[in-house]
Amino acid sequence: MNISTDPWVWIAAILTLAIFSFLYKENPFYRFAEHLYVGIANGYAITFYWHRILVPSLFDRVGAAQTPLTTKIWLVAIAIIGALYFTRFIPKLSWLVRIPIAIVLGYSCGATIPRGIDAQIIRQLKATVVTRASFANWHTGLWAVIILLGVLATISYFFFSTERKGVLKPLSYAGIIFIMVGFGASFGYTVMARISLFIGRLQFLLSDWLGVVK
Amino acid sequence: MSEPRENILVHLLRIDRRYIYLILWLVIMLPLIFPFRIQPKPTPPVQQLFNYIDTMPENKALVISVDFTPDTRAELQPMVVALLRHAFAIKRRVGILAISVYGLGLGEEAIREVTAEFNAHALTHEDSVIYGEDYVFWGWTTPVLTVMLGMGERITNVFPVDYYGNRTESLPVMRHIKNYDDIGILTSIAASAIPLSWINFAQVQFGVNLSCGITAVSAADFYPYVNSGQFIGMLAGMKGAAEYEQLVAERMKKNGMDWALRNRGTEAMSSQTAAHLAIMGFILLGNIAYFATRGKRK
Repeated sequence: MNISTDPWVWIAAILTLAIFSFLYKENPFYRFAEHLYVGIANGYAITFYWHRILVPSLFDRVGAAQTPLTTKIWLVAIAIIGALYFTRFIPKLSWLVRIPIAIVLGYSCGATIPRGIDAQIIRQLKATVVTRASFANWHTGLWAVIILLGVLATISYFFFSTERKGVLKPLSYAGIIFIMVGFGASFGYTVMARISLFIGRLQFLLSDWLGVVK
Repeated sequence: MSEPRENILVHLLRIDRRYIYLILWLVIMLPLIFPFRIQPKPTPPVQQLFNYIDTMPENKALVISVDFTPDTRAELQPMVVALLRHAFAIKRRVGILAISVYGLGLGEEAIREVTAEFNAHALTHEDSVIYGEDYVFWGWTTPVLTVMLGMGERITNVFPVDYYGNRTESLPVMRHIKNYDDIGILTSIAASAIPLSWINFAQVQFGVNLSCGITAVSAADFYPYVNSGQFIGMLAGMKGAAEYEQLVAERMKKNGMDWALRNRGTEAMSSQTAAHLAIMGFILLGNIAYFATRGKRK
């Protein structure tokens, strides 16, 4: 056993145990650690936004003599539009918050939608099509056919425009099976993820803090 | 069913959940102290990523985007470490950035760990891993769209200064990594949908090769993109990290770098296995108790 002498490791270990104490029941140690985490995370982010974005990209550039006047006007105008987010706190002016939201929303949608259609719909549709190349090996061919059937069956399950009879009935039932298999896989992965996070903390406690594990 | 056995099953259904936490704590902790050997076999997405990086042309760089936050460090940090070791072991240039501001510290931690490992064993300047020559940490900037689209034009415009405050133009490595054309593969290590944004903006627009390392929770959502070839490979959760660690350890051994390094993902596999067995046992027991006592509870 080789217990750490680093005060930061001790602080991290005590806070980890404080968070884990919630597993027993709600208590002040857990509350303290939770609030501290939220506060530090926000403070850290705000500091970075200030020093890495606002100061070099706005204040320094607006204050620099070599920056052209038109650039300065643009920068100040954009900063004012951004600052309109704070009008949320003034009830009479709160409607102004729609201006920056509309700009961000419009810009993001314009940039994302065309590329999203290509990446998430067209490329995925192409990958679902079974071609001769899919049968390079027997197993790749089999998986390609299963994927195609799975996509068709799952889509048919969510097809609500007509009564489920004829071909649609067995196909939509097959869709339920594919969906359940998907849920099962997701749940299995979720268990693995949560266990991994706990292992990570235990590795820290046993290795970095207590030195039990090398 | 006999009365006492039925009572036990009813009692099991009403067991205080804290006993389950305690059992899981022990089941996970004991294999960390007394590990048993588990050597995960690489799955195809992991093997594909490894093979791609391993055979990447010398003039192409590996870019790692640290897109996660400390809460998922346990799963994702071993991936960053393993990728850095791989790139340095085969002498490929590396660029690191963070899309999440919280990823900055994690990125730097991984860089410090891996560069210290390599430089501790270096006998010549050639063997060393040197900042600005072999790798660069661009740091973080915002917004995401500007970063992903801007890097296709000129990386130094997006990151005029690196994480440490140096002018990126002044770094020798930047003569070889100008934009996406010089990047062999970009790997987004994320606990969110950020890898899909890399597809939308970096791949659709500029055709850059991508891969991802993601938390196990989101693995099922990303498999279709591996299947479609949009991601060359994928590391899913701690197990994905452990598989990659094994492949990198073998590669390093072949390259004469048998250094007995710490592999956190692999270390965790015995605990992971024990925990999975315990949870499967809980699920089975819970279902047996539920069905066996259904009549009685009514």
